[in-house]
Amino acid sequence: MKLAYYPGCVAQESGRELDLATRWVCQKVGIDLVEFRNFSCCGSGFVDEANATLNVALNARNLAIAERAGLDLLTICSTCQGMLSLANRRLEDPTVRAAVDGPLRQIGVTYSGKVRVKHLLEVLMKDVGLDRIRALVRRPLTGLKVGAFYGCHLLRPSDEVGSESAEEPQSFEQLLSAIGATPVYYRGRVMCCGFPILFVKPETANRIAATQIDDARAHGAHAMATPCPLCHISLDSFQNQAAREAGHPLDMPVFHLPQLVGLALGATAEEMGLPRHLVSTDEALRRVGEVAIPS
Amino acid sequence: MAASMRVPFDVYRFDPATDAAPRYQRYELDLAPHTPILTALLRIRSELDPTLTLRYSCRSAICGSCAMVVNSKSRLACETPVGPEFERHGRIVVDPMRNQPVLRDLVVETAPFWRQYRKIEPHLKPDPHHPLPVGRESPMTPEQVDRFRETPRCIACAACYSACPAVEADAGFPGPMALAKLYRFVVDPRDGATAQRLATIQPNGLWLCLRCHLCSEACPKDVDPSERIRDLKEMAIGIAGASEAGSRHAEGFKDNIRATGLLNEMRLVRQTSGLLGLAAQAPQGLRLAGKKPEVLRAPKKIEGHDEVEKLYELLDDQPPREGA
Repeated sequence: MKLAYYPGCVAQESGRELDLATRWVCQKVGIDLVEFRNFSCCGSGFVDEANATLNVALNARNLAIAERAGLDLLTICSTCQGMLSLANRRLEDPTVRAAVDGPLRQIGVTYSGKVRVKHLLEVLMKDVGLDRIRALVRRPLTGLKVGAFYGCHLLRPSDEVGSESAEEPQSFEQLLSAIGATPVYYRGRVMCCGFPILFVKPETANRIAATQIDDARAHGAHAMATPCPLCHISLDSFQNQAAREAGHPLDMPVFHLPQLVGLALGATAEEMGLPRHLVSTDEALRRVGEVAIPS
Repeated sequence: MAASMRVPFDVYRFDPATDAAPRYQRYELDLAPHTPILTALLRIRSELDPTLTLRYSCRSAICGSCAMVVNSKSRLACETPVGPEFERHGRIVVDPMRNQPVLRDLVVETAPFWRQYRKIEPHLKPDPHHPLPVGRESPMTPEQVDRFRETPRCIACAACYSACPAVEADAGFPGPMALAKLYRFVVDPRDGATAQRLATIQPNGLWLCLRCHLCSEACPKDVDPSERIRDLKEMAIGIAGASEAGSRHAEGFKDNIRATGLLNEMRLVRQTSGLLGLAAQAPQGLRLAGKKPEVLRAPKKIEGHDEVEKLYELLDDQPPREGA
């Protein structure tokens, strides 16, 4: 299947390992990523706060790029998923439509509102299917207990983005089971990572991240996994600050969703960009029999 | 109608005066699937255990007294049926509301919630230069009333407050209900204190909202506090500009992606935190750059960047301001 690939900013910058892992996994499972060099940032929720109309217009332009190519759009970030879905939803409001259609026409863009925005998690579950993924597994992640961490905007607002229950999502855990890992259920899996205020009030954001990591650990998780690179920044890149705030070490490896799928499908740690993580994934890798790369 | 079923309840029990620690007590009842959780708890109290303590009043989702945490979600016990909860979880775990101290069992101390509410001065503050007419009504147009159609539905049950991770992590955060109520006064044409209200609430208030939407999912009355807070943020920027770390971050982000179409991560930190803040983050930045050198690089301009620039010119440089 062919999809317009919307990597989002972070996967092209500090979260490049997510882009690496996505490309590897999509190639393996038969998703043809069609690339465009003209996508802009989704606004990450911040542009929506500063200027909601501009935010819809920027994302309508992004969605129109996929529409012109006759493709649905693939995201690999809960926040991109949320913001592009939000634009589709807001465009149903005639007032919003009227405010953005003129400016869009002036840049030669029309958009019907009909492009489907799909996160990689949904595509793996619904379009590729667990049977095909199971058949492709070369190294089941047996014995690895993983706490899925969904990221707010993949689940909420539930009437906007929800491809499944916002309260009791199951897809990520089902995917983890299909690749041989043991999913861990904990309250924090549907909570916030703190990212939106990481630079506004770091100590509060760090406390929120630490709460979710501690919760996953208390329920037996050896590792966490997230479909959102912004959650990854909070949970991995700034885990040292979260630990300082919590007053105890956290030492929780945090994987991007396609990294775990890739490892199960036979990728090496290096192919998944794992050496780029701030918190070492070595211990988790040893559990599944992948040799860590000396760094 | 489906027959009754045997439903296990695990109910939080704690009396701070006598118990060293909270515990869960198991009760079982035969119930029809449509039975409200509150009705089940009252049956437990009258038939099985008269010591179970809970708060309720109207049983009709109007008074907001019976908000509690049912299977991890903050909700009204009186309007949550047993059936779907039992089907999904195989049991019903009942906890007191979060983010408020437990007085006993399912009853929490609500004083902190109301203190946060008082902070927003929940009453009309007319402009002294344009006092409201005395002895006659101050009519509003339907369009003016439409702007705060949702917020008067709030029954102050505090389900949003219980669900909010910012309240949990930061005692200074007023919480979703107080901010939704603030919105109600800010958009009321009879109120004349918008600038003062927004200036008061901005530090340590508005901008700690994580827009996680947990409040809006928890709200039994569809007040949608998350969207109301978003509206307040945009208004706060319109009135006071980027005067706080939070508004600087939102405005900075918006300006940041204008340059290339994509986010320049390091520049954003400087925009929000200033040079001093950037210096404070320098050790962390270097630590990140050691593993992720891209954080130090500016992204290249996207193709069609002129289209993005034009949208900014049309929709941001001269935004069509409301009421203009």
